[in-house]
Amino acid sequence: MELKEILKKVVLLGDGGVGKTSLIARYVVNKFDDKYIATIGTKVSKKDIQVVRPDLIINLKLMIWDILGQKEYSKIRTSSMSGAQGLILVGDLSRPETVRSLEDFWLKEVKLSVGNIPTVIVGNKVDLLKKESMEAATLEAMGERLGYPTLLCSAKTGRNVEEIFSTLGEMLLEGVVSTAKTRKEKAPQTLAEVVDFIVQDFCAQYGDLEKAMLIVQHQFEEAGVDIRKPSKDAVLRALDGLAKAEELTLTKSVARVNLEERQRMVILSKG
Amino acid sequence: MEQDIKIETLIVMSVAIFAVLATVAFLVPFEDSNTKLFFIALVTVLTAINVVGLFMVWQSSPTIVDEVFLMTPTGMLLKHYTRRLRPDQDTDIMAGMLTAVQNFVRDSFDEAGGRLNEIRFENYDILISHTKNVVLAAIISTKKPEKLRVELKNANDDIEKAFGERLSHWSGDKSELGDVDVLMKKLLSGKYRK
Ligand SMILES: Nc1nc2c(ncn2[C@@H]2O[C@H](COP(=O)(O)OP(=O)(O)O)[C@@H](O)[C@H]2O)c(=O)[nH]1
Ligand SMILES: [Mg+2]
Repeated sequence: MELKEILKKVVLLGDGGVGKTSLIARYVVNKFDDKYIATIGTKVSKKDIQVVRPDLIINLKLMIWDILGQKEYSKIRTSSMSGAQGLILVGDLSRPETVRSLEDFWLKEVKLSVGNIPTVIVGNKVDLLKKESMEAATLEAMGERLGYPTLLCSAKTGRNVEEIFSTLGEMLLEGVVSTAKTRKEKAPQTLAEVVDFIVQDFCAQYGDLEKAMLIVQHQFEEAGVDIRKPSKDAVLRALDGLAKAEELTLTKSVARVNLEERQRMVILSKG
Repeated sequence: MEQDIKIETLIVMSVAIFAVLATVAFLVPFEDSNTKLFFIALVTVLTAINVVGLFMVWQSSPTIVDEVFLMTPTGMLLKHYTRRLRPDQDTDIMAGMLTAVQNFVRDSFDEAGGRLNEIRFENYDILISHTKNVVLAAIISTKKPEKLRVELKNANDDIEKAFGERLSHWSGDKSELGDVDVLMKKLLSGKYRK
């Protein structure tokens, strides 16, 4: 398993009062007071997202910049936008003019200062809408035309708020793959080699070698694995035990990915 | 104790000593001008020794760096070094906010678009050094920013030379950066000091 730490700068833009600050507050734990947005025009928040890919765990650190939404405040906004790698455009579904200005004003400004970057369009305050309204349709048509994902959400109820950031996160990580992937394609062949590889891999990920070896020995005994002449069934049973141990020391999702990968290797091996 | 000596204090002290001695030299009625000249020369030499001595005391006490932030001009933290433990602070956010404050000051007060290079508090200073793709901010609590400024600038120039090009189109993947630790350790261990 390879571990990557990736930092991305994301900005939220849209007219004043559409709910940018509220959406961020819903999504992250804030360290600085919101008064900074009014006093210096910007506030920075952070959210860590763990993304698990084959052979790769990505710790994505989203640096989320909340920038004052007054249209005339453009100089500081441009400075703060500099280097942005992702964009969240927010409109207020209860105020049609804020939806229109996403394309007419905000997107133009971003294109001028940072160019084309991964973008998500958000219609906020969906809780105020009666049914499927005109504004929602307008917003979705805009997203379709521009080729950006569109989400209707509410900072008030929390609906779809996580999805805004996870959707953008996926877009930001497009094309990120394990550097070891090509190397790993030539995996060990016989069951004995596979078992050897799994034990090494488990110990490396566990960190504490001695403790890891004790766990391996214990799990192999429980599952009845004969090290000199292992059987596939017994090894597969042992893998479940190893996964249980990894759930505690790593995370559930990592343990699951490891388990599936190891099961595949065992089943495909010449035993 | 010497860590609290400021260069200004040293100058004032030296000038005061010189003034007293010089006044004495002019007020005392000397028999002949040779004795007077000799006395004035003596005063000058003593004052010079005094100045040099005090300056060496000042010079020998290092500027203690509490924290260093290595960042991009867009506010992304690359590395953070600290001698204090502050578990409640998120350094990524600190770096972003430090950048936001700089943007605010520049855009509000400096029409020419200059750079904020120092923030001074009662008990500590934040020194900031900029190159095209690299920003170094050092927090010091020993009140001698003059000495560190040159070191910081030299380290910044070296990091720019080695990593600037890579940073100008950096994707955010820390493993692509390479090892800046060597240069940063050089700064932190005082190797940029003259
Ligand atoms: N009903 C409703 N009100 C919201 C929602 N999100 C934000 N608001 C309110 O809209 C106002 C402006 O929100 P704010 O986050 O400050 O907007 P910003 O200027 O874009 O940062 C505040 O009074 C919020 O309470 C939402 O999803 N539903
Ligand atoms: Mg706001």
